[in-house]
Amino acid sequence: MNRKWIAAAALALTGAMTVGLAGCAGGSSGGGDDKTLRIAMGSPGEAQIAVWESIAEEFEAANEGWKVDLNFQDDDMYQTIGLPNLLNGRNAPDIYFEWVGNRLLQRNADGFAADLTEQVESGALADVLDPELYTTTTVDDKILMVPHIADVSNVIWYNVDMLAEHDIDPPETWEDLLKACDTLSAAGVVPIASGNKDFWAAGNWLGHLVSRVVGADAYDEALSGEASFDTPEWKQAFGYIEELHEHGCVNESANAIDDNEGAQLFFQEKAAMHAIGSWLVSWAIDEAPDLTFDFVNLPAMPDEVDADSVEGVITGHVVNAKSSPEKIEKAAEFLAMLHTPENTEKFVGAEAVPVDATVSEIIDERTVRLNSLLGEAAVVISPADTGYDLEVADAFYRALAEVMAGRTSADEAVTQLAQQVE
Amino acid sequence: MKPSRTLSPYLFAAPALAVFAFAVLVPFATTGYYSLNEWNGYGDMIFVGVQNYVDAVADTVFQTSFVNVVVYILVTLVVEVLVGLLLAGLVLTVRRGSIWFRVAIFTPVMLPMVVVALLWSFVYNPDFGLLNAALTELGLQEWTRVWLGDEQTALLAICVVSGWVFAGFYMTIFYAALRQVPSEVVEAARLDGAGEWTIFWRVRVPIIRNAIEVAVLLCVTGGFQSFDLFYVMTNGGPFHATEIPTTYLVQAVFRTGEVGYGSAMAVILTIVVVAAGLILVALRATADREGRAHRRLLAKAKEAVQ
Repeated sequence: MNRKWIAAAALALTGAMTVGLAGCAGGSSGGGDDKTLRIAMGSPGEAQIAVWESIAEEFEAANEGWKVDLNFQDDDMYQTIGLPNLLNGRNAPDIYFEWVGNRLLQRNADGFAADLTEQVESGALADVLDPELYTTTTVDDKILMVPHIADVSNVIWYNVDMLAEHDIDPPETWEDLLKACDTLSAAGVVPIASGNKDFWAAGNWLGHLVSRVVGADAYDEALSGEASFDTPEWKQAFGYIEELHEHGCVNESANAIDDNEGAQLFFQEKAAMHAIGSWLVSWAIDEAPDLTFDFVNLPAMPDEVDADSVEGVITGHVVNAKSSPEKIEKAAEFLAMLHTPENTEKFVGAEAVPVDATVSEIIDERTVRLNSLLGEAAVVISPADTGYDLEVADAFYRALAEVMAGRTSADEAVTQLAQQVE
Repeated sequence: MKPSRTLSPYLFAAPALAVFAFAVLVPFATTGYYSLNEWNGYGDMIFVGVQNYVDAVADTVFQTSFVNVVVYILVTLVVEVLVGLLLAGLVLTVRRGSIWFRVAIFTPVMLPMVVVALLWSFVYNPDFGLLNAALTELGLQEWTRVWLGDEQTALLAICVVSGWVFAGFYMTIFYAALRQVPSEVVEAARLDGAGEWTIFWRVRVPIIRNAIEVAVLLCVTGGFQSFDLFYVMTNGGPFHATEIPTTYLVQAVFRTGEVGYGSAMAVILTIVVVAAGLILVALRATADREGRAHRRLLAKAKEAVQ
């Protein structure tokens, strides 16, 4: 009987391993030698997908024998495990979407970011973009990314009519904001809507708020693990979030609803303000065309270190260093095609404003002002979840959410955060 | 000449064994291997031995997740199994048209769990949802809550949804079992003057004890494996109030890229589930043995009297 069981198990395992090995055959990362240019990104929406597809057709027409394979993944999946899996799988992308910051540094460290300096200086990407635009995408004197879109990731959007109805001016200082919260709460209106179930929505906003108080350098050092969070300055900064809770500034449901639901509170005029990024413009125009809305940058904080700092995120495309030299050249050609005036205009029409877009009638004037805000800011900070290690960012965002909900005091939150990340 | 049958049993079983090995044994073995390493899913693996297990056991959130899942299982034993049993008893009393009741109660079981989670997320939405709107309309505004955002109510809210889905499943199991109860036994009880409630609890339920034990085993092991309802509705929030082992290890693997750590948690969870199953089976076997011994004693006593 024992021999029979052993024989059956051996047969089963052999069969399983054979099937498994056959399935896994073909190696892992690497762009392959075929004439297919593979491009991966999170889903940018139907309008932009159409633009990408038209550019892909244009590239195929100009490069006989070459095909373009576009891979659009779910955003959350792409940002976490999706891209690493693609890069390490069969048929890894030759071009992939990425955020400037820690993520780009990680791709470089893992050997997935090609040096595009030569392409930019004298190759296919020469004279495509203003050299200044490559500043944030250059690491150790190597240009690793072609920037595409720059977003302001946090401003305070406000309903013009609702504020006017309650005789409130757009808040420019912290005191203005707290007074506005008191007035609106008394009138039964949610002062600031937030959908923070996934922690990033309020995390971006409150991260920007605390960075103003501690200063961009201290913000960067703490999130990079080079300095501790457990300092009086951080406790003071978190204390302002306690004030937001005390004044009932944020909807009670903030940590239970996601960003879509939070935005709906603003679109349906149940909330007077909404703290989110520049992507709200096209979203609001689609969802609430009758809504009159505008924005202010984060109000001036008491004793702030970096006045008028802006929180922004630059995204673009990286060429896979493990692709063949021929594919890297073709990838650079494709990225150059992305930035032709005609294609830039197509992206603008799809409500994505590339970094090299010039002011035109089809760009919403709020978007133009946001781009100016970002371009003219003396200090720009990155959101924690795209600019820094994700584990640290998660702990940071959770701490902010706990204080916003009144669950933890500022001091306790900062101490616990320091213990978690150090 | 007789055909050789030495190889043929193995050949017939081989495909199924191969699938089992490929889909179950090999992933289990590789997960065990990953759990001994620090690995982000694509870089180099660094062997750390049992450090991941030590970290997992010391992880307060992982500990909380087990507390939450045990609470979830205990509540769902009531809202799924007990309610299912009561529904089966009620449906049994319906003389004509019981099939429509059974279909209506079973329908939620057929819905994909993600659809159920999205549907109930809308119901529980604190600003636009059906529940708070209904309470407000009925003049019960003080009863409105941020159901999935309040640490006091979030886990219970999910348990209610689970009950809504699976009570019908257990009702179906118990209805089939109750139909097998011999009518003579029920008639005899009626003749002795027992009411319907007494007949149900003192006659029918003891007879379907095996089905109840199977249902409890399914509920307990199924509870440990829950994921989609929690993931879609709260993703472990608010502040880990609904964090269960599966959501926590998925976050470790797919969000923070701690494949080794997540694998260690998965192995621990598997051990706990298997242990729970073995304990239940052992308890059942013990009860069966005691039952058989009790029946032997009764039979001997009867013989002695005769």
